[in-house]
Amino acid sequence: MPSSKTPSKPSSDEKDKSKVHKLSLKGSAKLVAEFFQYSIHTILFQRGVYPAEDFSAVKKYGLNMLVSSDDQVRAYIKKIMSQLDKWMQGGKISKLVIVITDKDTGEHIERWQFDVQILAKPKKSSKSKSAEIGDENSGAGSAAAAADKTAGDKTEAEIQAEIAAIFRQITASVTFLPQLSGDCTFNVLVYADADSEVPVEWGDSDGKEIQNGEKVQLRGFSTASHKVDTLVSYRLAE
Amino acid sequence: MATATVTTPLKSHTGLFSSRTAGGRMPLTPSPRQRAINFNSSPFTPEKSSGDDKLGVSKSVYGGNLNARLAKASTKSQHRESPKSNIAAGIHTPRKALELGVSDFTLTGTGAYNKKSSPTADKTKKVPKVKSKSSKTTINYTGDRFIPNRGASSAIANAGSGKLDIKEKRRSRTGNSEASSVLSSATDDALAALEHLNIEEEDQSSYSRPSPNTVAYQDSLANACGVNLKTRILEFKPAAPESSKPIDLRQQYNRPLKPAGASSAQFRRRIATAPERVLDAPGLIDDYYLNLLDWSSGNQVAIGLERNVYVWSADEGSVSCLLETSPDTYVSSVKWSGDGAYVGVGLGTGEVQIWDVAEGVKIRSMLGHETRVGVMGWNKHLLSTGARSGLVFNHDVRIAEHKVAELVSHTSEVCGLEWRSDGAQLATGGNDNLVSIWDARSLAVPKFTKTNHKAAVKALSWCPWNMNLLATGGGSYDRHIHFWNTTSGARVNSIDTGSQVTSLRWSPHYREIVSSSGFPDNSLSIWSYPTLVRNVEIPAHESRVLHSCLSPDGQMLATAAADESLKFWKIFEKKAGSGSGSAGSSSSAKAEMTKQMTIR
Repeated sequence: MPSSKTPSKPSSDEKDKSKVHKLSLKGSAKLVAEFFQYSIHTILFQRGVYPAEDFSAVKKYGLNMLVSSDDQVRAYIKKIMSQLDKWMQGGKISKLVIVITDKDTGEHIERWQFDVQILAKPKKSSKSKSAEIGDENSGAGSAAAAADKTAGDKTEAEIQAEIAAIFRQITASVTFLPQLSGDCTFNVLVYADADSEVPVEWGDSDGKEIQNGEKVQLRGFSTASHKVDTLVSYRLAE
Repeated sequence: MATATVTTPLKSHTGLFSSRTAGGRMPLTPSPRQRAINFNSSPFTPEKSSGDDKLGVSKSVYGGNLNARLAKASTKSQHRESPKSNIAAGIHTPRKALELGVSDFTLTGTGAYNKKSSPTADKTKKVPKVKSKSSKTTINYTGDRFIPNRGASSAIANAGSGKLDIKEKRRSRTGNSEASSVLSSATDDALAALEHLNIEEEDQSSYSRPSPNTVAYQDSLANACGVNLKTRILEFKPAAPESSKPIDLRQQYNRPLKPAGASSAQFRRRIATAPERVLDAPGLIDDYYLNLLDWSSGNQVAIGLERNVYVWSADEGSVSCLLETSPDTYVSSVKWSGDGAYVGVGLGTGEVQIWDVAEGVKIRSMLGHETRVGVMGWNKHLLSTGARSGLVFNHDVRIAEHKVAELVSHTSEVCGLEWRSDGAQLATGGNDNLVSIWDARSLAVPKFTKTNHKAAVKALSWCPWNMNLLATGGGSYDRHIHFWNTTSGARVNSIDTGSQVTSLRWSPHYREIVSSSGFPDNSLSIWSYPTLVRNVEIPAHESRVLHSCLSPDGQMLATAAADESLKFWKIFEKKAGSGSGSAGSSSSAKAEMTKQMTIR
């Protein structure tokens, strides 16, 4: 019995590993990219960058998501997303930032930041990370390790629920975010690895941080391979 | 230890442990027996110890591990407490896997052993500890088996990983898979465990070569500043498309999600759409310009029917004929004084009479108008009368020279006239489509003259909760209700009602206004203010509604229409619990007047 199993074991071992990691990484990247797309639309709607009547409701994540039906805006976001998809698949992105800028003053008024952590491939690295944390605080370290582990076996529905919770929060955030006055436009920034391929439409930029901005950490979600955190910073009303 | 050998033969264990040992020593073919031997530590001890020695020399961590797990008190010079906790954290997964196996193991083992050893548990624990210093890791297994204790079990994992570590040192990474290929007898569980161990081992090797503190430091350094070096911030260069129009978020947030009518549904109160009472009003002149219906503060309704004025007591339901004019004229307007004791009666001849209702006697006649007096309004002792000529007179009813003011503004018949409740302003509307707003202190010229209506203005109503707000409604060609700020003269709102506006009454209790309509609807409409949402439209009469008035409690509206009927509508009914007194009185009245009743 042992001998019969001998040949199959290592291969199945490898296969299992590869199956879990590659598929979930790819699927997860897609899911995260899609989340970004809806986030952009939602923020554009909620913050009134484009008029409300330009948006139409789409059922997604168990919510009515408002998606721009303006051709130009759609094309613009589509262009961003097509590149974002590639980068996500390659695991090149650590942050996606949507900056809302006052058209007249050029001042950055609001900054929505989505931090992306890739958990999948370096299961060990995440672990070593937690081990490092454990260096300073063993309790937290083991807790983090446990959390990482549970994140792995989340169901699709649970992830969708987490995402829906984020969108609810984004929607609710209009209650505390200052009124945007005047015409606003938006920019999409990406924090990518230095070795990423960069198409011509994309160029280096500063972080477009908001000086003395107020920051509010919103919910995040995680898949087997990715962990996304949401942070909104905004200029305090004078 | 002897017990250990006895209790071992368990398949899963065998796989697990032997695989681990195999990780350490390749050539072994794992079998229960060998494992037992292993536990007994004989053949392999030397090798292992040599490995341990190596570790001890090259990687103090291993020794630290041992110490950490065995004696929590023991500290290593190079390590603070942290490595220990590191291990605990890092080992998490494999330990779990091991425990799975071990628990099986203990099931068989503890039964026998516990009885013997539990009292001496401490002792057994100590013994292996001492021995472990002489690098007999196997002893720990026995110890662990019988004393299921976290520190110990993690120690097992450490021991295992330590061994694997050695192996890894000797071999390249491919050695791992080779090693695992040797683990032929391992079950799937064991395989998983091994996998974890491997990961764990990589883990450990990766950080244990340099001091863990160093690594932590480096990583934190990288985290702190490396981000900027390793990543670049990229911007999507093309400018975002222009918004098609400027956006005011305030407007957006206030935007009703559904059409106004639908959204008001949840706020809409229930309004009785059937009349409370219907009285016949035979002979009611179908003339838009007259004002033949009024309800007094004493809860009496006066109605002018051709040459007669009838008074219907809402409390008692009784009707009395107050007066009958001479045959050459007719009643063109009736109006109760503020105290409800007197009623002013305007006649077609231009004569204005004042009657004491309780006594049923005429108190005085006031002459002056050459044309019929279509509208009147009381302001305490002042009676304002509007005539067909377009003139409005103010009469002080107390004095002989009663005419105290002549208000000249309208060029055609005055059909609407309403004092503000505080008597400071007077609004008049006429067939010349004008609305004039007068300041009571200076009646020479109107304060404002509004020309927005395109038809005669009969319907006038002052808002009870906002003194500056006046509603005016226009005739058939106009169909609009306009709302005015009578301080600034600004038009603040407008409604297109779709039909002739014959009267307007604000509700004292609700933020609503009711309008009565002529052609084509002949209906009553209740509008919310300031949303201007039509809460309800009641098809009230068969022909145009000519007059309306509110009961003194503000709940009931009486309407008189060209179909010669007088109807009572409980459209502003107060919520239950408030105003029970008036409800009682009306119900008693109802008992008497359940059916239609003819005045006269």
